[in-house]
Amino acid sequence: MKAPRDFLSEEGIQFGRNSVREEVERIQWLISIRWWVPLLIAASTGIGVLAGFDERLAKLFFVAAYVIGYNTFFYRWTRKSKAEPAATQPRLHHFLIWQAAADCSALWLLAYFTGGTISPLCFLFVLPMIPVSTTLSARAACGFMASVLVGLTLLAIVEQLGWLPHQALVFEDKEIFSSPNLQQFLFNLLVLYLLVATATFLAYTLFKAKREKTKTLEALFESANRLNQKFWRLFSMIQTIGSAQNLDQVLRMVTSESAAVIKVQGISVKLLSDDGNYLRYAAAHGLPDDFVREKVVDIQKSPLNKRIIEGEPFVTGNVSAKEIFQFGEILAEAQIKSVLFLPLRLEGKVIGILGAYCLLPDRFTEEDVDFFRLVAELVAIALENARAYEAVEKLVQERSWYMLRVAHNLRAPLAGMLSILDLIRGQYLGSLNTEQQEYLRRLDRRSRTMLMMINELMTLARSREAQRTDGTESVEPELVARRIRRTFQERAAEKNISFNLTVPENLPAIRGDLETVEQILENLVSNAIKYTLPDGKVEVKFSPVVTMIRIEVSDTGIGIPKADRSKLFSEFFRAENARSIEKTGTGLGLAIVKEFVDKLGGRILVESEEHMGTIFVVDLPVAIK
Amino acid sequence: MKKKAAILVVDDDQDITDSLKIILENHDFTVRTASNGKEAVAALEDQIPELMILDIMMATDTEGFDLAYDLKENPKFKNLPIIMLTSFLEKVREEGPGDFAYILGEQWPAHWLFEKPLDTNRLLDKIDDILKESPSP
Repeated sequence: MKAPRDFLSEEGIQFGRNSVREEVERIQWLISIRWWVPLLIAASTGIGVLAGFDERLAKLFFVAAYVIGYNTFFYRWTRKSKAEPAATQPRLHHFLIWQAAADCSALWLLAYFTGGTISPLCFLFVLPMIPVSTTLSARAACGFMASVLVGLTLLAIVEQLGWLPHQALVFEDKEIFSSPNLQQFLFNLLVLYLLVATATFLAYTLFKAKREKTKTLEALFESANRLNQKFWRLFSMIQTIGSAQNLDQVLRMVTSESAAVIKVQGISVKLLSDDGNYLRYAAAHGLPDDFVREKVVDIQKSPLNKRIIEGEPFVTGNVSAKEIFQFGEILAEAQIKSVLFLPLRLEGKVIGILGAYCLLPDRFTEEDVDFFRLVAELVAIALENARAYEAVEKLVQERSWYMLRVAHNLRAPLAGMLSILDLIRGQYLGSLNTEQQEYLRRLDRRSRTMLMMINELMTLARSREAQRTDGTESVEPELVARRIRRTFQERAAEKNISFNLTVPENLPAIRGDLETVEQILENLVSNAIKYTLPDGKVEVKFSPVVTMIRIEVSDTGIGIPKADRSKLFSEFFRAENARSIEKTGTGLGLAIVKEFVDKLGGRILVESEEHMGTIFVVDLPVAIK
Repeated sequence: MKKKAAILVVDDDQDITDSLKIILENHDFTVRTASNGKEAVAALEDQIPELMILDIMMATDTEGFDLAYDLKENPKFKNLPIIMLTSFLEKVREEGPGDFAYILGEQWPAHWLFEKPLDTNRLLDKIDDILKESPSP
């Protein structure tokens, strides 16, 4: 389950930084290639001198040394910036320009020492133009080209005016390319200009297409990444919702999860009544309590809701006075600026309305609405699932409850009968002859057979619960703790009870299913909060105990009040099966807790002192790896 | 000679109270019976027995349970040992006080819980145990 998230996030980072990485690599390649340049210069100078060029050519060794010098500097610099890898594109581009400028200066010297603008080496000026024009923008490339041309012009001028001595190439005591006339000289210069300009233009145009493609790709990666993130959030939402089964739980999760997924202040779920005339607030997250409590909307009186039910989404980025009238003042007080309502649709039938509320104006874009539609579909499915699940559960429970009642009513008269039989067979009413004893024994046997059958019926009524776990599931304590915190922190805060959950790190998983473990804790914590007075304390502590996970639920409560005590028994009676009746009934649920703890192979103990509080200690076996 | 211990049997099933009365009397107990909580309280006010056998489900599902709690809170009766009876829980057949006492701890008002139909011998043994433990009032 973890894999998709890692995959998404890691790839996501790489997508965005692709082009930067490519440029870094290119610059490194440039530096490594440059090491060959001084070697080449030195070698060709050596060969040149040996072949008969004047030894003044040896000045070129200085140029080689110069290239080694600045390249070492650049090399070191890249080394240093590797340590701080926050390479950004503008910084990289500056670095590239500096390198190209250094190259040009080396070329300038090279040209100067080999005859100035008429040097055959002048054509090498096209080389530094290539990395510059393939990487930088058209403007930057043109600027750079212009300064190179200015450099060349300067070289021509200083030579023509004789400010620097002309360094002629002398081969076998004969000057080659010597003192051209002005016309020739200007022509040479013009050819050089054209050469450099053409090289720049060609390199730029050829690479422009590639660069644009990279940019488009990057933009695509970006949006794919965003989509991936959204889908990941949806995926985790499905996961969370899938693990809850009863309607209340699903509603609670659906609202809080979708608020997190689309990052808004509040989410509400309104459900349509069976006759389709009313909308009832079923759940809300992050909205004022008054806004949703017991609120029913008559659809005939609310054209806005009517339109949504008919299938039209409603979006506003700036809640107007007229709309405020429909939403109520509470929404205005909560400073909600943007709202978005979508029908909750299931197989073409609208079952309610999902609303999103945000404090920012103009929060919902077209894209958000589309995404929210997906969320709404998921929510609708989750709700319908929960409803179906609850309906089936209820049916099963009602049947079991009925069977249990029947079994009890059969056992009661049988118990009376057996008691009388005991009395007679025990000869308390006078002695019996052998034949009488024999027939009474038969009667007793038949009655006990009947009792056994009734007991089997009871077991059958009960067995549904027992089938659930197969022993391979496991639950992370961290996850349970998080869910319990989410479920109860508000309720505790309302009563001003401090509510603390502590889970040490690296606790092994609990053997069993999430629902069972969660119900155990839900019952215990719910009781703890219920029977603790304001300003009290409720604590849940997880700890490892040999092969068990110990969960202590302690409170500074008053114990169970008198009024609720008789419910304890009826609860035990019912809990044998009817769990949901129980949940909505007394909220004690201790019998369920015991049942569930047994099911997970754990144990539960309680210590309670009047006016001091109660502590429940639950030990649950860890999962087998 | 040892004074006969008094037992109050409370159950709405007359077959149970009648047969238990005879059996217990045959084991040298003084037995009175009551068929609901109200009668039981009247009988208790009249005279406090050494032990009470109390059915949980009578007119209501929790009548016996409620009575036991009330008695625990009444200083006059709070030391009265109670054996509860029920005809629905099969789990209590196992040795031990059953799930109630186990979970409820302090909140559990009885000494023991037996399932109906009763095993007469086990009931008699338990009565002996309890009477031996608790000082007579």
